[in-house]
Parts: sequence; C-alpha cells; structure tokens
Amino acid sequence: MAKGLKSVFLWSAVGLAALIALVFVAAAVVGYFSAQGSLDEDRAIVWIMGAFVVLIMVGSMAAGAAWMRSIDEAAREAHKAAWYWGGSGGMAVGGVLLCMATLPQAGAIRIPSWLDGRTDPAAYAATGAFGMMLLMLIGYTVVWAWWWITRMRE
Amino acid sequence: MNNRLKVLRAERNWSQADLANALGVSRQTVNALETGRYDPSLPLAFKIAHVFGHPIESIFSE
Repeated sequence: MAKGLKSVFLWSAVGLAALIALVFVAAAVVGYFSAQGSLDEDRAIVWIMGAFVVLIMVGSMAAGAAWMRSIDEAAREAHKAAWYWGGSGGMAVGGVLLCMATLPQAGAIRIPSWLDGRTDPAAYAATGAFGMMLLMLIGYTVVWAWWWITRMRE
Repeated sequence: MNNRLKVLRAERNWSQADLANALGVSRQTVNALETGRYDPSLPLAFKIAHVFGHPIESIFSE
C-alpha cells in the first residue's frame, strides 16, 4: 500500500462515520419536532439530505485529492488515462443512447426508471444520470485494467 | 524510449525495492521503467539521474 494511503482510508472512514452519525442525530431531532407538529417533516428531510450529500461530495473530492497525492506517478497516470479514455468512451456510448432518446419515436418506449418504479420526470432524470455514470465507470474500469496489465505486469 | 536503469541498479547491487524507495515510487513502477513499458515524467527522470549521479541523457535514449 502506498505511503499515506492508510491515513486517507482512515480519515475517509472517520469522516463518513461522523456524517452518518450526524444524519441520525438530525433525523431524530426532525422526528421529535415533527411529532409535536412544529416542523414540516418532508421539507426538513430534503434540507438534511441536501446538506448530507453536499458534505459527502466535498469529502469525496478532498479524499480523492489526498489519495491522488499519496499514490506514485505511474499509478496516477493509470487513473488519468482511465478517467479520460474510459470516461470519454463511456460517455460516447451514453451519448448514443441520449441522442436516440431525444427522437420523438422514443416517446413510445416504456423505460422503467431505476428509482422504485417511479415514473416522474425527476426519477427519469436521475435514471439517465445514473446510467451515464455507470457507463463511464465501466469504461474507467476497463481502461484502468488495460493500462495496468500492459505496463505493470511482472 | 530505452534506458540503462537495470544496468545502473545492478552495478550498485540494489534491488528494485531499494531503487523504488530512493525514488519514492512503487517497486512495480521501477519494474515498468526497467522493462521500458512506462516512460517517466521529467521530474522523475531528473530524480533518477540524481539518484544515480548521472546526466539524464546518459541514462535515457531514444
């Protein structure tokens, strides 16, 4: 394991655990006040989850930066190649699906959303975003593995 | 790009792990450098030159 990588994992785990604990406390507070009728529960949940995911994303970026600094340059190059070629490749595949979905004929296709069978516009937007991210992640993984195997094999 | 890393390392009786420690990279990276499967960045090439006490152009060639 690269030098400094352990502390990145440790601090990430501590940060995540602290955030989850914070959400539990916030949920308990919201539950208490909404039971008394002094708080709009739905609105409070949206704000708490909004704050939670913003903190998760900021923390992920910080952890990602620390992790990139902790690995050596060849490992970093592997991830750069994977990010560019794999991510772009995945986006290209997703781009085809995206363009096809804009055709009026696509309106007749009944696509299930990935969010508990919901069929509202937000669920479809989230499904599309998840789909694009999944394709990019697949591309990333394939290119990273190819880069690593072709250069770092013994 | 070709390099004389393996020869220079052997002259000093260093293992790949020793060189990796001196350069601050992983042993796999040293192996990839020696086998020519990975070309180092300019900062790493300078570091290699410094560790071996040779000019860059005497270690790396086209």
